[in-house]
Amino acid sequence: MLRRRNAPVHRTVDNLVLTPRDVDFDWASLPTHWVPGEPFVTHTINVLHLLLPAGERWFVDVFTQALPYINDDKLREEVLGFIGQETIHARSHQGVLDHWKAKGIDTDPYVRQIDWMFFKALGDRDLISKRREEWLIERLAIIAAIEHITAMLGNWALNSPALDAAGADPTMLDLLRWHGAEEVEHRAVAFDLFTHLDGRYLRRIRGMTVTWPIMLWLWVRGVVFLMRTDPELTGLRKKARWRYYFRASRRHLLPPANEIVRGVLRYHRPRYHPLKEFSTGQAVAYLASSSAANAAAV
Amino acid sequence: MVAPPDLRGRQHPDRLFTLLGKLIAILEWLASGSYIRRPQARPVDRDLQLVVDEVRVEAADARSFRLVAANGAELPRWQPGSHLEVLLPSGRRRHYSLCGDPADRRCYRIAVRRLADGGGGSQELHDSVGPGSILTIRGPRNAFPYAPPFVPAAGYLFLAGGIGITPVLPMVKQAAADGAPWQLIYTGRSQASMPFLEELSALDPDRIQIRPYDQHGFPAGAQLLEQAPPGATVYCCGPAPMIASVRQAFPASAAAALQFERFTAPPVVDGEPFEIALQRSGRVLTVPAEVSALEVVRQAVPGVPYSCQQGFCGTCRTRVLSGEVDHRDRVLTDQERADTMTICVSRSRGGRIVVDL
Ligand code: FES
Ligand SMILES: [Fe+2]
Ligand SMILES: [Fe+2]
Repeated sequence: MLRRRNAPVHRTVDNLVLTPRDVDFDWASLPTHWVPGEPFVTHTINVLHLLLPAGERWFVDVFTQALPYINDDKLREEVLGFIGQETIHARSHQGVLDHWKAKGIDTDPYVRQIDWMFFKALGDRDLISKRREEWLIERLAIIAAIEHITAMLGNWALNSPALDAAGADPTMLDLLRWHGAEEVEHRAVAFDLFTHLDGRYLRRIRGMTVTWPIMLWLWVRGVVFLMRTDPELTGLRKKARWRYYFRASRRHLLPPANEIVRGVLRYHRPRYHPLKEFSTGQAVAYLASSSAANAAAV
Repeated sequence: MVAPPDLRGRQHPDRLFTLLGKLIAILEWLASGSYIRRPQARPVDRDLQLVVDEVRVEAADARSFRLVAANGAELPRWQPGSHLEVLLPSGRRRHYSLCGDPADRRCYRIAVRRLADGGGGSQELHDSVGPGSILTIRGPRNAFPYAPPFVPAAGYLFLAGGIGITPVLPMVKQAAADGAPWQLIYTGRSQASMPFLEELSALDPDRIQIRPYDQHGFPAGAQLLEQAPPGATVYCCGPAPMIASVRQAFPASAAAALQFERFTAPPVVDGEPFEIALQRSGRVLTVPAEVSALEVVRQAVPGVPYSCQQGFCGTCRTRVLSGEVDHRDRVLTDQERADTMTICVSRSRGGRIVVDL
């Protein structure tokens, strides 16, 4: 069957109902370098497991506090679906950390710092009325910015055949793509929630302005930390270098920098809306085929 | 707020994180002034009033309803698998799949089986809604998306049970129009009870198997999936036991993907009525046998968090102050079960349960 050029690749799906999926991952046979022969690529993606368990639990905390302020039934249902999805995401990435711990790879020093950032520095305060609401909305603006980035990365994961070609571990790829697909699925929720409760352009941009530099910094630190902690690397091979990143992204094993920069810039358009980019149809098609989602107890 | 120790495990607080803490404190200070001129969250009204234009008998106890806007305007677009929430005159709310033509932007069609024991929603539609009646609806929303890649490698297997044919019908027509390889297995109590047989007869009869239970028995998931070609995508909608059996059999089948209607709240199995007391508001509520505690609590405490409604996400976990809980979740540890429960699925072993709500 021939398609016209520029015909859409994925089907349109509007007004998707969001619900969490139960999943089942078995890490028993996960190799340390699950992209074979690519420790740098492996660890750059592994940083997700360090950031997400705490980060997504924090999303859930903040979103749960926002529930009573929502004045729109459809949005409330989407927020509830989001909360469940992020809970399962956090738990699934935590599974990888637990597996490492059992193997003697200790990530506690790094994870402790991330916990501190989310639950102390960005945590709840003893605030009342107006100030409490403002701190809540400020954090919603940060979550909306992070969710823009996670949708971008999720979309990349769904379209990364180079990882399959490199022989990456199929269970880990399924984790990344199941998670990535749900990120694409619920990409508008945080943005819509922020818009519902405030929505001012400058405040939205303020959220992104603090988010991307911190995320980049944590990522670099995370790669350096994981390479140093990796028991299978020795001597100079423990060092992370920028040129490794550029080499890997040129081979499509990591998202290219220019795509990320352009993506972050798109968020600054006044008329930006998450549903204007990426494909819900592609996400749900992947989810229907995810082994982890199909293997979970019925 | 003292920053955590650094990555090398030295005991003094990490300098960069101390700095990060200060940065976030500045952000909080900026936030505290943002209440000035903040727009209020406006209530959003998504109700649509539609007129029933035509009612047709589609099977022994099933009817279809055609809905249009009073002024003939275009309705919100939808894709196969979508449903409407219908707010009945009595206040009941029901979800019905759209089974018309997505390309026809001026009408919606839903089909409803009259259930003797279904809580009265379907009876109300059958008995007191006719041409000219006005229905309030919300939607469309899609919990059963049809989104296969445009160039399918291996084709589709559609499985429909009884009134579950409604969302599947537009999918089948779409697949046929795309020229994709597809098969439909349509099951139901008896031929006379199965709606849309006539409409289906306009499609390629070689691709459709009609299998009423009274001739073929209740179909097991594995048996249905046997017919899936390797790599196929399966779309399944029907009674809860049918979906459960297809899901169970799926991993061992040759098919590659499974899409089923994502019911949020599955029916309660073997439920006994019980009382749940909300400590903080001092209210005592009765949970009927076929309803979850969450359903009942939600009416009284509108902000109560929940998500999956199936006992696996843990969002609805609630502290139990007293009472014997029949734990039916698959997420809590024994330790967590000692003093908490998931109110979406768990119930009482008999007697009242007091929760911290
Ligand atoms: S709502 Fe998910 S466990 Fe109850
Ligand atoms: Fe997530
Ligand atoms: Fe997310």
